[in-house]
Amino acid sequence: MTALETDVRRRDGAANANDNLIEVKDLHVHFHTTLGVVRALNGVSFNIPRGRVLGIVGESGCGKSITGLSIMQLVARPGKIEGGEVLFKESGEQPVDILKLGRHSDAMHHIRGNSIGMIFQEPMTSLNPLFTVGKQIEEAVLLHQTQNHEEARRRAIDILDKVGMPNPQRIADSYPHQLSGGMRQRAMIAMALSCTPTLLIADEPTTALDVTTEAQILELMRDLQKEIGTSIMFITHNMGVVAQMCDEVAVMYLGKVVERATVDDIFYDPKHPYTISLLRSIPRLGGERHGRLDAIKGSVPDPYSTVTGCPFHPRCPSFMPGLCDTLVPAETRIESENLHTVRCHLHPGSTILGKFGSSGGVATTAPETMTGFAAPSNASEPMVIPGSGGGTVNNSAEPNLTSGDVDDGAAPRVNRTS
Amino acid sequence: MLNYIIRRLLYMLVTLVFVAIISFMLLDLTPGSYLDTEIARLRQAGGNMSDGQIEALKIRYGVNDPFPLKFGKWIVGVLQGDFGQSFEFSVPVSSLIWGRLAFSLILATSSIIFAWLISIPLGVYSATHRYTIPDYIITVLQFVGVAIPEFLIALVLMVVSASVFHADVGGLFSPAYVDAAWSGAKFVDFLKHVWIPIIVIGASSTAWLTRVMRANLLDVLNAQYVQTARAKGLGEGLVIWKHAVRNALHPLIMAAGGILPALISGEVIASIVLNLPTTGPLFINALIKKDTYLAVAFLLLLSVMLVVGNLLADLALAWVDPRIRLE
Amino acid sequence: MATPNLAKPIGARPVAAKAAQADTSQISQGRLMVRRFMQSKLSVFGGIALVIMYLLALFAPFFGPYDVNEIDTNYQWSGPSTLTFAGGWPGICGVTQTLDQKNFAWVYTKDCSQSNPIQLFVHGSSYSVLGLFNSDLHLFGVGKPAKIYIWGADSQGRDIFGRVLMGARVSLSVGLVGVGFSTVLGSILGTASGYFGGIIDNLMQRVIELISSIPTLPLYATIAATLPHDISVTQRFFLITVVLSLVTWTGLARQVRGKVLSYRGADYTSAARLAGASHTRVIMNHMLPNAVSHIIVVAALAVPGAILGETALSFLGLGMLPPAVSWGVLLRDAQQVQVVTTYPWLMIPGAAVIAAVLCFNLLGDGLRDAVDPYG
Ligand SMILES: Nc1ncnc2c1ncn2[C@@H]1O[C@H](COP(=O)(O)OP(=O)(O)O)[C@@H](O)[C@H]1O
Ligand code: SF4
Ligand SMILES: [Mg+2]
Repeated sequence: MTALETDVRRRDGAANANDNLIEVKDLHVHFHTTLGVVRALNGVSFNIPRGRVLGIVGESGCGKSITGLSIMQLVARPGKIEGGEVLFKESGEQPVDILKLGRHSDAMHHIRGNSIGMIFQEPMTSLNPLFTVGKQIEEAVLLHQTQNHEEARRRAIDILDKVGMPNPQRIADSYPHQLSGGMRQRAMIAMALSCTPTLLIADEPTTALDVTTEAQILELMRDLQKEIGTSIMFITHNMGVVAQMCDEVAVMYLGKVVERATVDDIFYDPKHPYTISLLRSIPRLGGERHGRLDAIKGSVPDPYSTVTGCPFHPRCPSFMPGLCDTLVPAETRIESENLHTVRCHLHPGSTILGKFGSSGGVATTAPETMTGFAAPSNASEPMVIPGSGGGTVNNSAEPNLTSGDVDDGAAPRVNRTS
Repeated sequence: MLNYIIRRLLYMLVTLVFVAIISFMLLDLTPGSYLDTEIARLRQAGGNMSDGQIEALKIRYGVNDPFPLKFGKWIVGVLQGDFGQSFEFSVPVSSLIWGRLAFSLILATSSIIFAWLISIPLGVYSATHRYTIPDYIITVLQFVGVAIPEFLIALVLMVVSASVFHADVGGLFSPAYVDAAWSGAKFVDFLKHVWIPIIVIGASSTAWLTRVMRANLLDVLNAQYVQTARAKGLGEGLVIWKHAVRNALHPLIMAAGGILPALISGEVIASIVLNLPTTGPLFINALIKKDTYLAVAFLLLLSVMLVVGNLLADLALAWVDPRIRLE
Repeated sequence: MATPNLAKPIGARPVAAKAAQADTSQISQGRLMVRRFMQSKLSVFGGIALVIMYLLALFAPFFGPYDVNEIDTNYQWSGPSTLTFAGGWPGICGVTQTLDQKNFAWVYTKDCSQSNPIQLFVHGSSYSVLGLFNSDLHLFGVGKPAKIYIWGADSQGRDIFGRVLMGARVSLSVGLVGVGFSTVLGSILGTASGYFGGIIDNLMQRVIELISSIPTLPLYATIAATLPHDISVTQRFFLITVVLSLVTWTGLARQVRGKVLSYRGADYTSAARLAGASHTRVIMNHMLPNAVSHIIVVAALAVPGAILGETALSFLGLGMLPPAVSWGVLLRDAQQVQVVTTYPWLMIPGAAVIAAVLCFNLLGDGLRDAVDPYG
């Protein structure tokens, strides 16, 4: 895929920006543990546009996986979805609020695997070791698509072929432990796509893979996305991957979406100090390699504590005493060509007096221009050039990715931690 | 796989040879042989025995042979199915043991099946209904089950059935059938008796396996592939029984190898209380009376049972787990 | 594998630093363990109950009203005394013994019209307190000629309550002493096996495999059968504990070996070796302290096995022998179903066995979860 194609795809999407496959509204998930209540999601709202790729980024522990699992109604005890809506609009059908369906209802089983597929982070453990890869794919096909075992087998082999397995027949008869990590992740993708879902939730699908394999898997996912037209919710903590994969981005911090924008706006015009810090933590071209969060001081607070005001204020370089630590910033729209929202008092729409402690919905006040507040110094400096390819990351610790067959491979990456 | 089995079999043989040496040595060490008891009895019965007579007896029983010679003679015999002569009963050991071993084997096997049949559903229920009242009840039962010695369960069960049901529950047969040839009626009578020993012998293993099952399943339920199965749209029943339980069985089969010694021990001791025609009573009696060859034969064959059982458990493991099978 | 990784350049300074670090983490680890243990109420309960049991056993002659060997033909197979409040103060009913001529059995008729009040701190048979001095004080009793049998009497009119307390001395200490032996044995052999590896390790593994190829109870029984009969009770006690530990040590050795193997790869171990510490020093200063919490857990969980082993052996007539008193010996009286059906209180020693084993299991589980919450 060339940079041009990427741009075309993005512009296409922009045309029907209001056609959302999924609308998540004010989602709350709590974990009731013996040590106290963990508010894992605290009013998460975002949309996944039809046929496009939404990236969900944020440090680990900020609630990305729980968001994905909530859409599938798979949050396990002691977690509980306390409130919110997940509107699912399959084309030609009435929108349904997934959260209103029973966890174990037929409708929910029909959505899982059939309408929404999911891929997990650990390819080594996400396949059942006791069944062949083929059987595990067939299981999904038999459940949703056909009763015929031969047909199911044929479709399993087809999809294995499609995800680029060299010898799909043989792979179908292999057990997971006989495959490498990359192969297993391909098998997982095959399984998730076997019923041609309209949405694919990919929870850090490449985090556990080595760089070469990661590039291949990303390319595969992009190609399949184009071919099948599936929307993807792509969870990652790697801004480089976001640059390669996503059309739109939602940045999460401590159970809230703090900024939403197109991928271009996120990289060229980031508004939230957390987004800016995330971008700064990417190793620069030719620069010295930094630890993942060198640029963000401190670390994610422990989940049992509650932070007053803006959840990011203890770590924020632009922290404004008296305001940020008392008043929760509301989500507000930035004046922009595309949808761009942020939750930060640097942007006046966020500051709604009287809204102490609560959170949620997009603020309806008209956004003022916020030139009066100086954005942090480096904010306007492009951190990455998405889709530009060709650049070289001088990254001594990881294999260099300048070989021509993987474009975008040079996108800078955030140092990984599990 | 075939290589693996052959290697295991060879290991097994070597182990058993050592078991034979050790058990023979143990009994040979015993101060005071059966001969002393025998001489005392003969003296009491019919006056004096000359030293010559005693010497003749000693030679007949090979008492003064050096250990390697004695052992050699014996092991050669064993390989031909001749376990020597029982001092007490004055018949070949082999004529005494096989029938009893067969019953022991039947009881041990039935008990392990019983233990599995009970413990798997209980463990699954317990794990999927954590912190509910039934889970607590199962946990308490499982703690008590592990703590009760088999012979006590046997006693309690027998006392209860004797005083509440007025049933005679000892043995494996009613007196009328003990010496009768096998027939439909005898088999029914056998079934009427055999459930008590099965429960008695299987109880503590059931408790233990329930506990293992619960813990394993809780582990497996946290595994990513269980979430994958759910994400596919499978119903919770299939997710648990097809994807989770099958993976949790893995350590359970290993545990099955581990409970075999307890099972065999339980069989030995329960059979004494329950007065079963199995190895237990005769074995302990042989030990007390120092009927060396009989006791050694039992010890050896019980070990064979254990070792073969362990091998079967390993094979079962390979059968359910492709990671081992395809190694 | 057996030699530390020489490629790693570790100087003397990091050794000190690492060691200090290990020490501080050890302390907070210990506190953490205690806290986790205290959180498990059942385990704390098990621990407290065990302390009480051991105290009862230690002062058994004080808590029991009569001498455990005191035979009384007037109370053969007499049931537990009946409590009455007729006198306004708790007492027991009177009992008269008659012979049922038809069945040739003693029949006891109780008479609750008059109460024999229970007295506290009565004087009775004399006994030695911990071998220090003699006393004839008993916690409770009734005025003569009545006798109090709270758990009934055995075939010779001996007090089962007192005998269970007395039996606890043997049964409970067999567990501790036996596991003590096997802990020492298992720790030494397990450490050596894990630390040195190679032939030593291989040999150890084979021996363990061999021992575990013989079913436990038949093995115990066979070894116990070789014990001579003409030895004192104390000698027999120690020999039985040795027999029990011959099997128990294998489980312990396995666990310790596993732990040591995991420590062998640790940085501070190779660092200490490189800094010139001897094998003994490394084992004593670095490995055992780390393994000790695990050893305690495994040992606690091994005690029930030893208690059950002694009970089974004595029950079969191969363990402790009368006149010694242990729970297994007492349960020998309960071997015949007909007898137990008529005199069910003969099974009370069994309840003691269950209680002790249960408490040790609860305690051991709590300790394990405290030491290794994710194991
Ligand atoms: N089983 C659980 N018990 C308690 N808290 C949990 C549990 N699972 C997740 N959480 C909480 O939810 C938060 C979000 O988790 P997650 O969505 O996995 O983060 P991410 O995927 O962004 O790394 C975590 O910080 C954690 O505190
Ligand atoms: S609201 Fe204040 S603390 Fe929060 S991100 Fe904006 S500037 Fe920083
Ligand atoms: Mg995650």
